[in-house]
Formats: sequence, structure tokens, C-alpha cells
Amino acid sequence: MTSVEAAVRQDGDATDGNDRTDEADQAAADYAKAILNILEDVGEEQNRQKDSQRAMLNILEDLDAQKTALESTQRALLNMLDDLDLERKKVDKSNSDLREVNEVMRSFIATAAHDLRSPLASMVGFSTLLATNWATLNDEMRLKFVTTIDRQTHKLTGLVNDLLTLSSIEGGVLNTRPEHVDLAEAISQCLASSNVDTADVSVSCSPDLFARVDPTHLGRILENYLQNAFKYGKPPIQVEATQAGDMVQIRVVDHGAGVPAEFETKLFGKFARADLPSTRGQKGTGLGLSIVRGLAEANGGQAQYMPNVPNGSCFVVLLPTDEG
Amino acid sequence: MKTVVIVEDDLDIQSLIATIFSMDPRFSVVGLTDSAEDAIVVAQAKGPEVIVLDDRLAGTLTGIEAVPLLKKVAPKAKIILFTAHPDVRARVVNRPDIDALLLKTETGELLPLAQQLTNMLSLL
Repeated sequence: MTSVEAAVRQDGDATDGNDRTDEADQAAADYAKAILNILEDVGEEQNRQKDSQRAMLNILEDLDAQKTALESTQRALLNMLDDLDLERKKVDKSNSDLREVNEVMRSFIATAAHDLRSPLASMVGFSTLLATNWATLNDEMRLKFVTTIDRQTHKLTGLVNDLLTLSSIEGGVLNTRPEHVDLAEAISQCLASSNVDTADVSVSCSPDLFARVDPTHLGRILENYLQNAFKYGKPPIQVEATQAGDMVQIRVVDHGAGVPAEFETKLFGKFARADLPSTRGQKGTGLGLSIVRGLAEANGGQAQYMPNVPNGSCFVVLLPTDEG
Repeated sequence: MKTVVIVEDDLDIQSLIATIFSMDPRFSVVGLTDSAEDAIVVAQAKGPEVIVLDDRLAGTLTGIEAVPLLKKVAPKAKIILFTAHPDVRARVVNRPDIDALLLKTETGELLPLAQQLTNMLSLL
């Protein structure tokens, strides 16, 4: 019998006395207790649901945080890929630069070897002729052979000196002793010692123009510009020295064909020689202007080229002024 | 008399080659030029038995490029490529029109080589 049925029976049988009243009270109490239990169960269920809800929310929050972390990782990876791509491009560029340097070096060595071999071939050839035919050669022939050997020896010495100078310049170990140099005097000395026809050269230089430069280096720069003007240009040749701000400027101007525009950037490079009617058949190492630029820069100056309008070339050297 | 044309843009080397050939009176140098273009004209006019030819020359044609043209105008000429570059040897491996190659540092071999090519050695 349930507690409810018991309560109904108690109501219907009131006459049964006190026992019946007690039973009814007990049933009501049991009934109330059962309801309380049910209510407690409902409360617990609600609490469980709330806990589940909170857990779900926490999981969602965790998932969101993980998603954010993944996105951040993805961004970092993309950045790393970008960086790697950048590095790869840098390495590619370095490799390309190295290949270019190797090619320049290979070409430099091949040209230097050829230029060294040519005078050597003459020297070996004529000395062999002398050694094997001495008795049958007359004095005139002997003198001719010895003179050729001497000329080629000087040519070879010049080339070796050029290579050594260039090596010193590029290695940063060029010995430079700047002095107070009177430009008018330096130009005059250069012309006097040069083998060019000075009748074709006009000089304009104020007497109070002084530069701070190694005089040997200046002599070599001027000599090179003059030789080039006669070799590749045409007279009249003008040598002009002027003040240009805090520098002195020396210009060697000729009236030949000038340098083709596309060759101007290569002009001061090693073994630079444009393939032109005026340069074909000309002898020389092709190191001259490269050395000129190195010497000018070692003395705090610059070497430049500009076309001489309307025709010809103008080679310029800028050097620090020396007022003292 | 075997005639020789010398094609060389270095005047000292040109003079050296001429002097070497002057050591054998059976040779006569009939032409000296510094470009392949001039050499073709001279070879056509003189019909030499020997052409001593440098590769790098004053004109636009190189010596190697000029060989077929020289053979065309002077078919009996023996061509000696006379160069300062040892690596030229690799470029003329399959060139039967070039009869011999000699390095400029081997000038002592030039005369015997020319004698051999013109069958003079068998006459000695």
C-alpha cells in the first residue's frame, strides 16, 4: 500500500481512534518527504545540467583558444616561409654574383695570360734565334734581335707592374704618400718625360693650383690619360687644370671618335677596351684606366669620363686641393 | 722555292716568323699582313705554299674563321695556326683544313714543321 492509499484509508476510517490518526500523520509526513526528495532530485538534476553547460562553455572557450593559437602558428609559419623565400632569393643572388665574379676572374686571368705570353713568345723566339744562329748572324741582325728582346722585356715588366699595382689597389695595400704638388709643374714634368708629340698638346693651368696627392700616382694618371688620348683619340689634345670647389680638376680632352655610350660604364673596368676601328690593333693591357681610378681614389679623388661635345673624349681626375 | 704568307698582328712576332723562314733559303716570305681580310687578298694574289696564321687579328675575322676562305683562294697552302692560346687546340680538333697548330712559345718548331708540311724533310 502506498502512503497515499494509507492516508485515504485513514480519512475513511476516522473512527478507528488515535492509531489511525498517527498513521495518517505518518503518511502525510512520508508524502511530504517524498515530495522533498523529488524536489531535491530535480535540484540536483538542474545543478548537473548547469555543470554540463559550464563544461561545454569551457570546452568551447578552449577550442576558441586553440583555434587562435593555431591561427597564430599558421601566421608564424607563413612568415617563416616568407623569410625562407627571402633568404633563398638572397642566396640565389649571391650565387649569381659569385658566378659573375668567377667569370670576370676567368676572363681576367685568360687576358692576363695572353698579354704575358705575347712578349714572352717574342723574347723566347729571338733569344733562341740568337743562341742557335749566333755565328751566322751579322751585327745588324744581332742588334735587331737584342733590341726586340729589350723592348718586349720592358713591355712585360710594364704589364707585371700594372698587375701588381692593380693587385695592391684591390687588396687595399697600395702605398700612398700624398704631398703638396704644384699642378702646373707636375703637368709640365709629365709632358717632358712622355713620348707623346707635345706639339699637339696645349696646357692651361693657373700657377697657384696645388693638390694633395702622391706625385708618382699623379704622374701615372696623367701619363695614362695622355697616352690614351693619342692612342684612341685625335689631336689637338688639351690638358686643363682648374679649381672645382674644394677639389682640383684636371681634364685631358681629345678630338677623336669618343667612347660609345654603351661602353662608358665599362671604361674604368679591368681589361676594358671597346671593339672599335680606333681600338683594333692597338696594343696595351687594358688595365690603365682601372689603375687610374684606383690611384685617384687612393688619393681621396675620383676619375671620370665625359664626352667632349661635339666630338672626342674628356677624361677627368679630381684631387683634393692643398692650400698649404 | 716555297712561298710563305705571315698573318700576325704583333709586329715583333711577325718579324720573328719572317726571320725564322729566312734561315732556310728554300722559303721565301711573299706577304706580311695583320688581318685575315688582308691575308685573303694576299693569298689569292700570291698562292703561297705555307700560311702562318694567328687567331686573334687586327680585323673582324679571326684566324680560325678565315681558314676556309684562305683554303678557297689558295687551295695548295698548308695552314699553320700559330697562337698564344693552348686552349685553341680543343677548338680545332675536327678541322682537317688546319694543317698544324703551333704555340707561339714553340717558335723553334716552326721551321721544321713548315719543312715537313711542304715535304722538304724528305729532300734533305
